[in-house]
Amino acid sequence: MEDKREIKVKVMNLTKQFDELLVLDDISFDVKKGEFLCIVGPTGCGKTTFLNSLTKLYQPTKGEILINNEPVDLKKHSIAYIFQEYSTMPWLTVEENIRFGLSIKHMPKELADQKVEEYLEVVGLTKYRKYYPDQLSASMLQRVVIARAFATEPELLLMDEPYGQLDIELRFKLEDELLNLWKRNGTTVIFITHNIEEAVYLGERILVLTNKPTKIKTEIKNDLPRPRDIVSEDFVNLRNEVTDLIKWW
Amino acid sequence: MESKTSRFMRKNMAAFMTIVAFMSLLLVWELVARFTNAGMFLPPASEIISKFVESFTVPIGKHRMLVHIGVSLYRVGVAFIFATIAGIFLGVSMGYSKTVEAIIKPIFEFIRPIPPLAWIPMSILWFGLGDQSKFFIIFLGCFCFITVNTYDGTKNVDHVLLGAARMLGASERQVFFRVVLPSSIPYIFAGLQIAITAGWSAVVGAEMVRSDEGVGWLIVMGMTNGNTVQIMVGMLAIGIVGYILATAMAKLEGRLCIWNQQQGI
Amino acid sequence: MESAAGNIADVLKCSHISKEFDSFDGTGKNLVLEDIDFSVKDNEFLVLFGPGQCGKTTLLNILAGLESPTKGEVVDHGKKVTAPAPERGVVYQKTALFPWLTVMGNVEFGPKVRGFKKEERKKIADHYIDLVGLKGFEKSYPSQLSGGMRQRVGIARAYSNNPSLMLMDEPFGHLDAQTRYMMEEELQRIWQKEKRAVVFVTNNIEEALFLADRIILMTNCPSKIKKEYIIDLPHPRSYVDPEFLRLRREITENMDKSM
Repeated sequence: MEDKREIKVKVMNLTKQFDELLVLDDISFDVKKGEFLCIVGPTGCGKTTFLNSLTKLYQPTKGEILINNEPVDLKKHSIAYIFQEYSTMPWLTVEENIRFGLSIKHMPKELADQKVEEYLEVVGLTKYRKYYPDQLSASMLQRVVIARAFATEPELLLMDEPYGQLDIELRFKLEDELLNLWKRNGTTVIFITHNIEEAVYLGERILVLTNKPTKIKTEIKNDLPRPRDIVSEDFVNLRNEVTDLIKWW
Repeated sequence: MESKTSRFMRKNMAAFMTIVAFMSLLLVWELVARFTNAGMFLPPASEIISKFVESFTVPIGKHRMLVHIGVSLYRVGVAFIFATIAGIFLGVSMGYSKTVEAIIKPIFEFIRPIPPLAWIPMSILWFGLGDQSKFFIIFLGCFCFITVNTYDGTKNVDHVLLGAARMLGASERQVFFRVVLPSSIPYIFAGLQIAITAGWSAVVGAEMVRSDEGVGWLIVMGMTNGNTVQIMVGMLAIGIVGYILATAMAKLEGRLCIWNQQQGI
Repeated sequence: MESAAGNIADVLKCSHISKEFDSFDGTGKNLVLEDIDFSVKDNEFLVLFGPGQCGKTTLLNILAGLESPTKGEVVDHGKKVTAPAPERGVVYQKTALFPWLTVMGNVEFGPKVRGFKKEERKKIADHYIDLVGLKGFEKSYPSQLSGGMRQRVGIARAYSNNPSLMLMDEPFGHLDAQTRYMMEEELQRIWQKEKRAVVFVTNNIEEALFLADRIILMTNCPSKIKKEYIIDLPHPRSYVDPEFLRLRREITENMDKSM
């Protein structure tokens, strides 16, 4: 089935070279508006370089990234990132942390108040609004980060293995919350992970990367019905298929 | 793709900037000294540099420049070695034994803020006018930094590493010599590095106590005679040698603590 | 002494352990372990599995002799555990390698402090470095190795004293998902070659099922034993085998919900 959504992000011939070392080799792909795209690759593939080039933290050696057909401009396009490390500000409370992203974007106070309430509620942290990060568990911290990211209603949400350190039960719980927020807001998400099961559980499409120099090995469409059942035969087959594509161990 | 030349440029940018900055500073200095009234208090850079170069062949006072530097280095060297031994010993004892910590630390913290120069009169009284009082003043300039850093190092040993060594069967003595000491080495070296620079700075003060040679003496003597060029030649010598000492110390640390460089794959 | 009696095949017996800490504000007590009672059989791979961060590391430290329990006792081969000893090897989550020693230096540390002669300890270290697949890296420092390789050194070091019991505290917790699978397979291979009794702590159910002969499911704070599972799937196991997935779901559903 053809995906008829308009193109949100267009990556063209992205190449990154550090001195003699070619890290990203001519990567091109599109992300549709509102799409949930997962990217998996073998350990040690240029995952971080890839992400940093996408966000223009590094100037790519060659290539272009367009959002809404314009070159990426962090001042114009709102992009949110969520990393594996909990990037909450330790000196701010839960509620102040969520407000932080909004005040950076100069949102009027009343609207910001409303957003903070809304997202505290969505991630179930209303009771903990006055807590400081060091009083919270790992999964609660990651909820704060998610709330902060979604509250700014970004055009593009980049996630770099955000649940790598959580145990499986919590991971599934947070993944389900993420999927709900994604559907609710229609956000475009790029989710990078080493965890194949996670990629198969979340994505509408999976981009498989090669080892360095990183290229796109292949692209797999994933239209398993949701909620997905990790024990079902289809799920296991798809998981095996992706595993075979990157297995190095 | 960037070309070979542009890569060369990028890599050497920092060095290039440093040279430009130095040159500009010298040029401004020269112009200010030659063409404004400030020249009365500030000799031109070119005069100081040529005097400095000359001093390697023509003696200032009784000696040529290398002798002055050599004598000062000898004083700092002796004091620094004593300070290192005493500082590491005291720092380790305070870090390792709660009793020693309780006894020594308050006294140490009381003495620490007293600047080395304040000790000059007492040191003359105790050690006389010879080299000993100079050793003592420079010693005081180095000693505290080494002690404090060593103490921090021994206090900051990772408890998991201590447990790991004990689990592998190490005795308390082995834990001390094989874990506490090596893991403090980066701290100790940081202390030594600050200390060598501090000791070298203390040389001026130390050589205020009657002497006939040394880079500090150049300054003290220049002050007595109102010879601004000689003062600044002395300052230049202190600056250059201090820089070389600090660099050498950093190199030595790099050699001895290869393991401390983060270069994971 | 009643505690000294016990099954001959038991390497380690952990009787009714409880552990309290003073709470942070100093006003009360925090109970982290409550009445933990189990034993480890000879050459058994036992996994302590449970949610969150509560209590499992403390329990392992008590088994190691690094901490003492508030109530109960640990008996190792009929002797009460009161201090660390080389008969119990530990593999740590953050590797705890000595950063100033090379791979060789780390692995021969145990034999060295126990007074082995140079040739002897080199022979021992060579053997275990080879076993964990690090031949050729003897002269590297930990900071020059990848996360997976560092854990291999940690395993070799724990083996170097030839302990009868290995304690492993989430050794692969900091590795990425793929390196983790690799290290689980590697640990399984190493353990099949040189069997020891192992107590392995993890909060990852895939890891638990892949490695364990027996899983003890722990509750969340305070940690108690909730249930025991004998895992007799044949080795090498597959992460996507239907029975593996069924057990994984069953145990996950029985696990305490953590926040």
